[in-house]
Amino acid sequence: MDRNDDFREFVAAHQQSLMRTAYLLTGDPHQAEDLLQTVLLKVLGRWNRLTRLERPEAYARKALVNQHISWRRRRVRNELPTAEPPDRPYASEDPLLVRLVMRQALMRLAPRQRAVIVLRFYEDRTERETAELLNCSIGTVKSQTHYALARLRDLAPDLAPKLAGLEPEEANR
Amino acid sequence: MTWLRDVLVDLADDSPRVDLAERTIMLRERRRRTTISLVAAAMVVITALGATLTVRLLPPGPQDVATRPDELPARGVGPLSHARKIFCPAGAENCRDGSWLLVTRAGRKYYLRQALPSLRPGRDSPLAISRDGRKIAYYSAEENTFQVRDLASGQTTTAPQEIPSKRLGSVSRLMLSDDGRFVAFSKVPDLKDPALLIDMREGRTRELPNRWVPVGLSADGGFITLAEYSPKARLRTMSNLWTPSKSDHTTTVTLPQHYHFSPLAPDGATVAAIENHSTAKRPCRIGDLVLLDTRTGKKRTTTVMRGLPPGVTGVSLRTWLNADEVTVLTTTVRCRPASDTPTDKPTQTNPPNRTIHAYALNVRTGKTRKLATHITQDFSSIALPGPPGAQ
Repeated sequence: MDRNDDFREFVAAHQQSLMRTAYLLTGDPHQAEDLLQTVLLKVLGRWNRLTRLERPEAYARKALVNQHISWRRRRVRNELPTAEPPDRPYASEDPLLVRLVMRQALMRLAPRQRAVIVLRFYEDRTERETAELLNCSIGTVKSQTHYALARLRDLAPDLAPKLAGLEPEEANR
Repeated sequence: MTWLRDVLVDLADDSPRVDLAERTIMLRERRRRTTISLVAAAMVVITALGATLTVRLLPPGPQDVATRPDELPARGVGPLSHARKIFCPAGAENCRDGSWLLVTRAGRKYYLRQALPSLRPGRDSPLAISRDGRKIAYYSAEENTFQVRDLASGQTTTAPQEIPSKRLGSVSRLMLSDDGRFVAFSKVPDLKDPALLIDMREGRTRELPNRWVPVGLSADGGFITLAEYSPKARLRTMSNLWTPSKSDHTTTVTLPQHYHFSPLAPDGATVAAIENHSTAKRPCRIGDLVLLDTRTGKKRTTTVMRGLPPGVTGVSLRTWLNADEVTVLTTTVRCRPASDTPTDKPTQTNPPNRTIHAYALNVRTGKTRKLATHITQDFSSIALPGPPGAQ
């Protein structure tokens, strides 16, 4: 058996899930691919040690989020979508427009805020899990979530009612 | 599930589907080798500086050649598993750029110095391996034409007429019959010189249409199957090839969509093909596996392939392993639409090596099983036993 077969199995099982998170974090398919590639190189470099862990994918996910934040600190913001959302009011039920507006708004969040939104609302993680993944306190996760949702409401005022409904429900978790 | 989660799930559906496992392993291996090389180079410099005088006085030690390929011996070579072209990075020394490397089933490697090396870009030098792996056909640099070599006995047969190397074209295809008697050659571009079917035993040749890839030949050499994948997908059968009168029978069928064709199946009347859904805007897209009647073009079966890694962007169908399984080579290299390709940069003449996986694909069930992994530049740089596929 090839010594890399375990790693191949790991990638086959988790890469699509990791790629989806990477895509939400970066907003760009090529940057998502680069981000995940970088993380998988790290994983492969530590593979012997990681196989002793119960869930090596947790390491990969944590590395993915923190690598993204680290990159975004250094990089110029250049990944804004080319399609612009409409200037005039639009129907918040139109899924295409909602997608376009939310994508644009997500790209304008600070990297840590975007990570909080993705981890809390896409991956459905608790505040404690999110804090562990981001190496921060639960209080920081709460405040970052609050600021991120407020910023999204500012950036997408037509969707503000739908976003406003999230916080009280989530704050209790 | 919240409204926001629904939107994020919807957005995440646009994420790219690629297989990064092989790329990651290759990158890590490359980095590891680079590190080892740098450390080794530093050690060499330090050692050399410290012991120059002593080393000069000592006779040179024997080189470690255990892992290096040998020259092809005069006889006694076992059956081949495959052959691949060697491509050398810029500035590499003692590297035989464009030459063929023969690999036996036992893992022995041999340089085929008798074959003319390919040139990048512009001149292809094709190689074919008989289905049993015991004979090869290649363009001889010395004879300026094709030769067939029996690897066990070392016996070579030379084609009856010279073919100038400038006629080899930039993309060429070579097929060797099971018994090594017949060689079929075609190439692109199709200038005035024709493609050829050569009877090596009787010393005679017959013209074939250019651009068409020879994918199957009957045992007596009288019936050939050809495939064309571009600009149209077509299949052609030609019979009575060696009859003096104009009594050859040709049937040509044009297919309604593009395919990656396999060699002729063992039943002599079918080819397997993978649907090619690529367009200029959305390149490298493949569909289902089909079995096609070579005379009518009629689709006999359509099967969904199972077990290939996600994100496969290229396929090449090759050797039939038995009546149900055909070899498929796959790659997962990222494809970009033609409109995304920079036009102000010169064409890359020496692209990097890539990982190519070989699978056995069951044409009845669509199931695959892994056979091997090859590292080379592209599908045309690897030859497997049996006729080539057309892609």
